[in-house]
Amino acid sequence: MKPAPTLSTAFLHPAGQSLPEPLLALRKQRGTALVDMPLPTRKTENWKYSSKYLKLTDDMAISLPAEGKTGSSLAVPGYKVAFLNGVMMPEACEYPDLDGISIKSFGDLSDDEASDLADRLDSTLDNKAVQMARLNSARFEDGLLIRLKPDAVLDQPLFIVHEVTAEASGSAFPRIFVDAGRHSQITLVEEYISSGSAQVMVNTVTEFNVAEGANITSVRLNMEGENVQHIGSTGVLQQRSSRFESHTVGFGGPLRRHDLQVRLEGEGAECKLNGVVVTQGKQHYDNHTTIEHVAAHCNSEETYRNIAADQSHAVFNGRIHIHQDAQKSNADMNNKNLLLSNGAEIDTKPELEIYADDVKCAHGATIGQLDEISLFYLVSRGIGRREANVLLTMAFINELVEQIPIEAVRETVQGRLNHFFEQAFQEA
Amino acid sequence: MATTDTEVNELIKREYEYGFVTDIESDTFEPGLNEDVIARLSGLKKEPEWMLEWRLKAYRRWLEMDEPDWAHVGYPKIDYNSISYYSAPKRPEDMPQSLDEVDPELLKTYEKLGIPLHEREKLAGVAVDAVFDSVSVATTFKEPLAKAGVIFCSISEAIQDYPELVKKYLGSVVPAGDNFFAGLNSAVFSDGTFVYVPKGVRCPMELSTYFRINAANTGQFERTLIIAEDSSYVSYLEGCTAPMRDENQLHAAVVELVALDDAQIKYSTVQNWYPGDEEGKGGIFNFVTKRGAAIGKNSKISWTQVETGSAVTWKYPSCVLRGENSVGEFYSVALTNNYQQADTGTKMIHLGKNTSSTIISKGISAGKSSNAYRGLVKFGPGAEGARNFTQCDSLLIGDRCGAHTFPYIESKNKSAIVEHEATTSKVSDEQMFLCRQRGIEPEQAVSMIVNGFCKEVFKELPMEFAVEAGKLLEVSLEGSVG
Repeated sequence: MKPAPTLSTAFLHPAGQSLPEPLLALRKQRGTALVDMPLPTRKTENWKYSSKYLKLTDDMAISLPAEGKTGSSLAVPGYKVAFLNGVMMPEACEYPDLDGISIKSFGDLSDDEASDLADRLDSTLDNKAVQMARLNSARFEDGLLIRLKPDAVLDQPLFIVHEVTAEASGSAFPRIFVDAGRHSQITLVEEYISSGSAQVMVNTVTEFNVAEGANITSVRLNMEGENVQHIGSTGVLQQRSSRFESHTVGFGGPLRRHDLQVRLEGEGAECKLNGVVVTQGKQHYDNHTTIEHVAAHCNSEETYRNIAADQSHAVFNGRIHIHQDAQKSNADMNNKNLLLSNGAEIDTKPELEIYADDVKCAHGATIGQLDEISLFYLVSRGIGRREANVLLTMAFINELVEQIPIEAVRETVQGRLNHFFEQAFQEA
Repeated sequence: MATTDTEVNELIKREYEYGFVTDIESDTFEPGLNEDVIARLSGLKKEPEWMLEWRLKAYRRWLEMDEPDWAHVGYPKIDYNSISYYSAPKRPEDMPQSLDEVDPELLKTYEKLGIPLHEREKLAGVAVDAVFDSVSVATTFKEPLAKAGVIFCSISEAIQDYPELVKKYLGSVVPAGDNFFAGLNSAVFSDGTFVYVPKGVRCPMELSTYFRINAANTGQFERTLIIAEDSSYVSYLEGCTAPMRDENQLHAAVVELVALDDAQIKYSTVQNWYPGDEEGKGGIFNFVTKRGAAIGKNSKISWTQVETGSAVTWKYPSCVLRGENSVGEFYSVALTNNYQQADTGTKMIHLGKNTSSTIISKGISAGKSSNAYRGLVKFGPGAEGARNFTQCDSLLIGDRCGAHTFPYIESKNKSAIVEHEATTSKVSDEQMFLCRQRGIEPEQAVSMIVNGFCKEVFKELPMEFAVEAGKLLEVSLEGSVG
């Protein structure tokens, strides 16, 4: 048997030595553990459908230079933080000093703060299930630490723009850690964009530590170019009566992977996860979500919709795990998929793993095409076939797009979706 | 008081009803597996050269394969060299031609099992090809079947008498290299059933085989091959019980179904092998590969199974829907109690146009058991207009058991439609209250509710099996309430 491919040692050399000592030490330690790390293959269960899209060449191992200009596609009111190739750009950031809220680059942390953070990085993620996130821990050059004191409320959404400039091959490793104190509130938007056309990889990790009663809304927009392989991991740890709401909107690419792991550790915690994915051409997108009901009386609700056109490939894997003591759990997962062309492929796997008896769990999944009868209804009323197609496809995902709580984001998404529809339904 | 005590003691002692060992001398191989053992096995069965070659080829493939570890089950590693690969009742050369000639010991065994053969023969109109350990010992109703042109015999006989058919179809649905256990079976299969229904024939009766695992330490490697020619119909019943054993016994069967144009095959199973005792000691390992190929246009393959036994079950009766308009069905009830583990489900592979499939799976977990549904629904690029509906429901009884669902859905055709839904819940307090209020004992109430939960599947079973299945669930759930 052929030995499984391992991560090239070229990837084990982090750049950027300006981090505080405890973080450098952590990075080094994580890096050592990655020597001979097997890369996912078709036989790796959680990469079954996506491993063939992962193409890491040695020239992609170097870190992209952290210089140049940034520009967000979101011209919106709100607070802003800009990352360029994984490093924070203070001159492009706009946020005031707020009472009870600290927004800091990892590089600006004191040794005490950094050592506290080093103890907590990766704590929200199940590292076995997100192999590739370990690479971020070994390579991050900077990051954003957001701390909310108890009862602190961020009055406007915080936009974090992650841009990569792909002038030459390389990688970027952006990282965010949010520490939300008791009853604090924040709305956070992560936007991933790119310029240039060289082959690059973006490997991101975002972590949310959600204390009792805190309320977090997270929006993630993935709009990078056709030359960017994106591997993102998000970990969420929720305490008693906290609430986490996530909206992800993703456009396909050569490799797009997002792992979202939520652990409901305190009673009465709840989460709501929404996701929309559209792929076209030869694009790929893979969403993997895990919701762990560890404590009793928690609720989770998950809705993902995928649309795949042309020869593209969309994957959804949702897992709900109810632990033995998580009685009175409510979990609901729903995944609907639309295949627009015969060359496209959709794979979905909604899993339930249940060890408690007094629970209500349900999941549903469908794959299909637009309903002929609905199409006929519209066409018979004088609407062109193409428009009818667009209307119905739009309706399929609009339910989720409309739930995004920020108007400017909705508009950006809508614009991109219109562009997608124009291409997907060229001559119908 | 004395009577009550005796009664209580009786009840406590009552364990696996069908756990006993029939005292018949067996012609058993020394444990171990190598090419010589296979040659000896093949020689003993007077198999032609090509069959031995086929077995050896499978064995060599098997040596290179790894035991699958992806299923949601755990069991101690099996040493395949500590198993004996052949065991036959004594005097294999003088097989009885009718029941009168059958060893009375054997008949007694069947009686204990509640299958009076001769009664069944007349009353139920069921022909029984009873497999005792590995060699067919009693075959009934051969004549009316022969009149209809149906071939119903052991696979060993078929290899002798109908080599062309066996050569053509054996391994065509489940190739030897398909998976680890199918490979093992292909190398060492001891016996099994062969059914051939010719063109245009509706098999006049339900065919049935009772499997028994008997001699200790003997792996049972059954091989079943059912071929339904154009426009034919056959319904096949399979049921199992096994004697009590402390050591785990391995069972790796392969079932292959082939349905040609307009043909229909209905395959029903009630599986009640020894599940191990309350501590999870002993019990059968059931690693079975079952697959049907709906090759012909408008053909239909339907699997119905009631799984209550075995310590570990690894079983995915599947349908490859190749023919246009072909139909696949899977109805399953899987019940686990104590320390039983089941990882079962189905695969529906849609390749042809307008193919459709239905999956109804009901899992019931009690005690400390674990019960997983694992399924695959796949639409190939040519599956124009294909359709699948899947429903898997789980019922939990007790707070220390697990119920899992792992459905894989893959689609490469835009006009194919798949719908999947799953729910998990427990026996609700309201339902229990309603029953208790009317004076129904808790155990009975649970049994009633469970029976209702499984009704959709039971109605797919042939009559006599449906009754048996209901009783089986009741017995299997004993002690899980209160």
